[in-house]
Amino acid sequence: MSSTGRVGADQPPILTFEDVTKRYGDLLALQGVSCQVNRGEVVCMIGPSGSGKSTLLRCANALETLEGGRITFDGADVHAAGGDARKVRQRMGMVFQNFELFPHLTVLRNVTIGPTTVLGLDRAAADARARALLAKVGLSDKAGQHPAALSGGQQQRVAIARALAMEPALMLFDEPTSALDPETIGEVLSVMKALADEGMTMVVVTHEMDFAKRVADWVVVFDQGRVIEQGPPRQIFEAATVQRTREFLSHLGWHGESIAEVAAGE
Amino acid sequence: MTSGWSLIWENADRFAAGALLTVELTVLTMILAIPGGLVLAFLRLSRWRVVRFAATAFVELFRSTPLILQIYWVYYILPVFTEIRLPGLAVALTGLVCNISSYNSETFRAGIVSIRRGQWNAGLALGMTNAQVMLRIVLPQAAMRVLPALASTWVSLFKDTALVSVIHVNDLAYVALKIRTETFVILPVLNAMALFYWLMGYPQAKLVDWIHRRYKVAE
Repeated sequence: MSSTGRVGADQPPILTFEDVTKRYGDLLALQGVSCQVNRGEVVCMIGPSGSGKSTLLRCANALETLEGGRITFDGADVHAAGGDARKVRQRMGMVFQNFELFPHLTVLRNVTIGPTTVLGLDRAAADARARALLAKVGLSDKAGQHPAALSGGQQQRVAIARALAMEPALMLFDEPTSALDPETIGEVLSVMKALADEGMTMVVVTHEMDFAKRVADWVVVFDQGRVIEQGPPRQIFEAATVQRTREFLSHLGWHGESIAEVAAGE
Repeated sequence: MTSGWSLIWENADRFAAGALLTVELTVLTMILAIPGGLVLAFLRLSRWRVVRFAATAFVELFRSTPLILQIYWVYYILPVFTEIRLPGLAVALTGLVCNISSYNSETFRAGIVSIRRGQWNAGLALGMTNAQVMLRIVLPQAAMRVLPALASTWVSLFKDTALVSVIHVNDLAYVALKIRTETFVILPVLNAMALFYWLMGYPQAKLVDWIHRRYKVAE
């Protein structure tokens, strides 16, 4: 594994995982995971279901506790005793597989609730910020609707706007397209691609291999709670050195060529 | 000997005053038992075992004994131990509030735990405190879900207030039964009592049916 030329390598990494261990009862969900995310980098985490990718993401913003190891964000230990998980979470946006929009609030209020309750922004400033973000994800006309009136793809774009409203330093995406109908996956991926192009630091747990290949700067492959391989996408998708990685990719029907239309937007 | 219905007519003002008190008791009890139920629900969801245990004991005591017994308890036993002698109406209210708070707490608790973990995570991921997530995300959704159950409790409560007549609170039931004793006119008085309860209770029951239809849980 070589990190020469890795994006953001000239600065200290924004997020590091050092020998992270997580256990659910008898199940060892993470068995000594180490990797890092540099500033401005898009890191895609791939691997079979249940391999620990999503768990690692929830550990990153302290929605889960650790049994061992260390996670640092901007140099500070996320799980330090007496540390303030809320301070970390405010600066890390998170997008969930099932959107998790707040169904009792309008789209606009879903996006403003973070800034108004957590950052103390006044209503007018929060509204202005939210409307700009809704325009950015192409949903200006939905501001007054409730989430239930939106398609899955639209809901997920609102969820992205909601996370961005906190002006995070880092965005975590937990299988953002896994719960979507095929025809709405593209609109979400293109919003994510646009975000990556702006230089947003992103960690994306995904099964969208085409997205990973085209947008990721770095790919981490998980299997059974371990990182089995990591490297730039070209290496992972075209010259994987680990047999298990090749098996996983070919199981998905990946043989190096472009699979589906990934609406990468351009 | 006055006929049955003219007797009712002659006592219309007393029936009206009784009916008004029945409505007042119902409204006051619910106004107090909603925060009461919320507090009990929070205590039952507390991270401290002692707190959970105490709240559970309270709730199970009031859910598993007859309301009429609870009213007698407050009436006779509270003064013995606390030297507090409340006026009849306050006794009735105390008994009803303890009872309905216990039912409400179970309703609220069910509503709160029915909100999936992902909603908590979404709120926490924005940097909210647990209290903010509870207040702004979980409770508003839980309230919508439990509205039908609360409405059903309301209708039961309206009828159960009749039990306070045993401690001489001048509600509709007490007034009716008192007129019966004074005049020895039994059937017309009981029929009138039934009619008045029905006239007030039926619209409430219909309203509850409507609430059930209107607020069916839709994800």
